[in-house]
Amino acid sequence: MILVAGGIADKVTELVCARLNDCGYAHRFLDLGRYPSGHGIAARWAGAGPEGSIHGPDWQVDLADIGGVYVRFLGPEGRLLPADLAPATATTLRAEADTALMALLEDLPCPVVNRLGGGMSNNSKPYQALLLTRAGFRVPPTLVTNDPDAARAFLAEQGELIYKSASGIRSIVRRLDPEQVDRLGLLRNGPAQFQRFVPGQDVRVHTVGERLFATRVRSKAVDYRYARRDGLAVEMEATELPASVASACRRIARDLELLHAGIDLRETPEGDWYCFEVNPCPGFLYYERQTGQPISTALAELLHNGVAAVPKQTGVAALR
Amino acid sequence: MHLVLGHLQDACCAGVLARLEARGLPARLMATPLESPARFAWRLDGDGLTTHFALDDGPSIDIDSVLVRSTGWIDPDGWEPADHAYMQSEFQAALLAWLAGLNCPVVNRSSAALWYRPLNPLLVWQPLLRRCGLLAPETVVTDDPDTAYAFGGRLEAAGVPGAVCTSLTRDIAWLVGRSDWIGLAAVQGRTPVCLVEPHGQTRPACIVGREVIWESSPSPEEISLEPGLLSLAAEAGLNFLEVATASSRRGLAVVLVEPLPRLDHFDPVTREKILDTLTDLLAPSHRVQEARP
Repeated sequence: MILVAGGIADKVTELVCARLNDCGYAHRFLDLGRYPSGHGIAARWAGAGPEGSIHGPDWQVDLADIGGVYVRFLGPEGRLLPADLAPATATTLRAEADTALMALLEDLPCPVVNRLGGGMSNNSKPYQALLLTRAGFRVPPTLVTNDPDAARAFLAEQGELIYKSASGIRSIVRRLDPEQVDRLGLLRNGPAQFQRFVPGQDVRVHTVGERLFATRVRSKAVDYRYARRDGLAVEMEATELPASVASACRRIARDLELLHAGIDLRETPEGDWYCFEVNPCPGFLYYERQTGQPISTALAELLHNGVAAVPKQTGVAALR
Repeated sequence: MHLVLGHLQDACCAGVLARLEARGLPARLMATPLESPARFAWRLDGDGLTTHFALDDGPSIDIDSVLVRSTGWIDPDGWEPADHAYMQSEFQAALLAWLAGLNCPVVNRSSAALWYRPLNPLLVWQPLLRRCGLLAPETVVTDDPDTAYAFGGRLEAAGVPGAVCTSLTRDIAWLVGRSDWIGLAAVQGRTPVCLVEPHGQTRPACIVGREVIWESSPSPEEISLEPGLLSLAAEAGLNFLEVATASSRRGLAVVLVEPLPRLDHFDPVTREKILDTLTDLLAPSHRVQEARP
């Protein structure tokens, strides 16, 4: 039995459920929009991993029968709070329920897509960049600073820079234009991250266990995710990766104990490959729809085939 | 320069700072090291990682060690709430990377997982405790009143009265007895609750580097836990970690794991030993050997 935990209105979760149905793989849906309302946990830890069951409005599953878990946690905007409780009380109780569920899912022996810990590096882009280099990736020359002089020197040295948030807060990648250069004095208020602009084509890689799905993205936008907002086109096609890049993709996913990840790469006109970041909760739907790459089918198979199909997750990455 | 990231009200910061200064070492207490007037640059390129740090507009300084007791919360005064939240995230992200890249002792050099979720309940540590061969008290998480009641019944049959209802998000717990099950069931109508087997008196211990420091002499049973406790710290990537142990039905169990040890949990003599060992960890080449008998 596969457990899918996510939002009923989340299209990626919806696609995973649909693919599990197509494949004939039994699953149960834990609606995180309503959880804990209508759902329940009865789990016991007594020297080994958790034993017990989890249930939804019309289903119950023994924890020992869960062979795979797919989870996409929701932000507060996707959650319903009980109307009969004061918001502060309801929020407190929901936090208790969420922590209980997270602890339970983290400690299941089956594949969990994804355990939380490995993905936390995505909250610090420069920290993650260090991990990427250790996994064998080349990353663009990167500077994080609160020193305007250091930023100006980096600009003079690198020629053309982009800037983006250092944290996990989503930001649009922008080129550092003359207007922004004039504002570098504001860095004394807080740090920012700068990277050398790397020309080339974006390649998004989705890992599913050891399988890789590489998608080449053709767009003139600096940040193709927002290309249409700027009136620019985006084209996508499946592509192949050099062996060394494929190896680094598998290694970083293993290092972070992520069974499913979205890795942002760029290939320069000279054939050099750079990695920008790893997304531990990738919205792969966009890429699958554009290219027909069977990412959701691979996920369904990974969840169905269980521990035999995936690298061992120790759960230690949750704390390490 | 040895940096102590935290506040003087923290006895650990004050104690280490005093020891570093007593050894004649330059040391500085800072709550938010990457905030102006300090200047820093963290740079990663094909030649590797380089960092520069200056306390002000002066020259860069060499950092000899860092004790991390705070993740650097910036003062919200003068910021719009949304801007403060954004900037706080940026500071935290930069500080994590900066600490990860320093080529000197950093205690603790946290992983992203612990940096962003430092207050994990014992339940979250269970997989790692098992991996290290350490026991935890029996625990039940449930929103089913019958399951909770049955757990209480099993404990009572074993001669253990009540169960400890533990918050998973705050550092609070209540002993629930026979008369409390109805009230507990009302809470379970809203959320699963975490019930833990009550344990005996706790004994704190502090892992500092490769040393386990107990209050007074450890018993043979406590000594037998030390390899597991050292593994726990190593697996978590921490060289400063507090635990508490207590007797449970199945033996001596770990009942607390705290990556930000609190000195007030220890008696004065043990505090001194922890601070001395911690300072040795930060300034290993400046041990004051002659001061010891």
